Amino acid sequence: MFTGCGVVSGQNQYFNRPHPGLEVNRPIQMENGVTSGTCSVYQDQTHSNAGQPAVVHSVSTPLTPLPVPPPALKLGQEGFKKVCRTEEDSPCPFPGLASGVLEMRVKEGSKIRNLMGFAMARMQGEKSVTGGGVSGGGLRQVVFTGSGRAVTKTITCAEIMKRKVGSLHQLTKLRYKVVKEVWESAEGGTSEMTVHRTVPSISILLSKDPLDPQEPGYQPPETLSALWEEKEGVESSSQTACKRSLGPLPYSSFPHSKRVCLGEGVSVHPPH
Amino acid sequence: MTEPRNPGMSSIPQAAPVHTDSTSPAVEMDPVEYTLRKRLPRKLPKRRNDVYVNMKTDFRAQLARCQKLLEGGGHREICVHGLGLAINRAINIALQLQASSQGVLQLAANTSTVELVDDLEPEDPDEAGEPMTRTRNNSAIHIKVFYPDPQ
Repeated sequence: MFTGCGVVSGQNQYFNRPHPGLEVNRPIQMENGVTSGTCSVYQDQTHSNAGQPAVVHSVSTPLTPLPVPPPALKLGQEGFKKVCRTEEDSPCPFPGLASGVLEMRVKEGSKIRNLMGFAMARMQGEKSVTGGGVSGGGLRQVVFTGSGRAVTKTITCAEIMKRKVGSLHQLTKLRYKVVKEVWESAEGGTSEMTVHRTVPSISILLSKDPLDPQEPGYQPPETLSALWEEKEGVESSSQTACKRSLGPLPYSSFPHSKRVCLGEGVSVHPPH
Repeated sequence: MTEPRNPGMSSIPQAAPVHTDSTSPAVEMDPVEYTLRKRLPRKLPKRRNDVYVNMKTDFRAQLARCQKLLEGGGHREICVHGLGLAINRAINIALQLQASSQGVLQLAANTSTVELVDDLEPEDPDEAGEPMTRTRNNSAIHIKVFYPDPQ
């Protein structure tokens, strides 16, 4: 029934581990969480390192919660190392969605070719799929979800699928996802700290069947490039304007993006 | 890879992971001999209630600008746009606006693909290299932040 579960869980085991190149930033973000008061500190908790947390995922498809190995332990800058990272349960962003819809959980280390290779095969139904959708034509719906740094990749996956499959109705939902991190002191290992961070997450539902156009975040099929023009008639000037170039471009280079991102983390407070 | 002569271009590798794809006529290009210049994204609609989020301006300044539009500016809705790396920040701004309104504001997000053009300029004009352009796609998000109609 849920053959997608096996593949996605296999990715989870790898991708829930922090990206090695990005690990340096995490202790700083945690510190930001401390200063902005979004975390709570518990001392001397008896949280065992071996207790493997289960990642609870957002869309309430009947996928079983997947046990995740503890992330790669790295020494943080404050002498703390992260013991585990748990995404807290959140309700399905698409109420009324049929169970068994393929959910692609995009992580920041996921390879787009892997995600798309799997999702496209399921949607196009080239191989006879074991279930979950209309037989023959492949699945009718797919959900891409991602949070934090994986948001951009999530959108990219959805955009690629819209372009390749065509005539897909889209529903996009944004929200904060709460991530619980447990950090353990490096020396002694007696003190532990639990950090609650909120990260923005996105869920994109792509459907071959029509969706409710009144729902906020709905996009009808084939709005790939029309989205810009429909807002205001600037097509004529756009052609000449795009020839202008060079100089400090608003979107083109982000040499200080890392540092600015951290500053952004300070001002993020949980919505509740 | 990135030439020390162009410190402003040092961010090219960062943008690489968000490319959706790239139709590159210059796969065999020798990266040493060309300078990669990124053009501006194509001209976009700019109404008073359009906010284009970038990664250079301070986050709080951009958030404050949106708040001012919604509260002081008398706009019932604003449109927050983000491209590439700035998608995250655009989402953050929209969610912050919603949170600070105690859930009154609603969000409606759309995604799109924006075609971007890079110019490849030969470093040494005497050599055989010709100026080239490359197009690539990047993802973008457009979030309508609005007060729902009281009906």
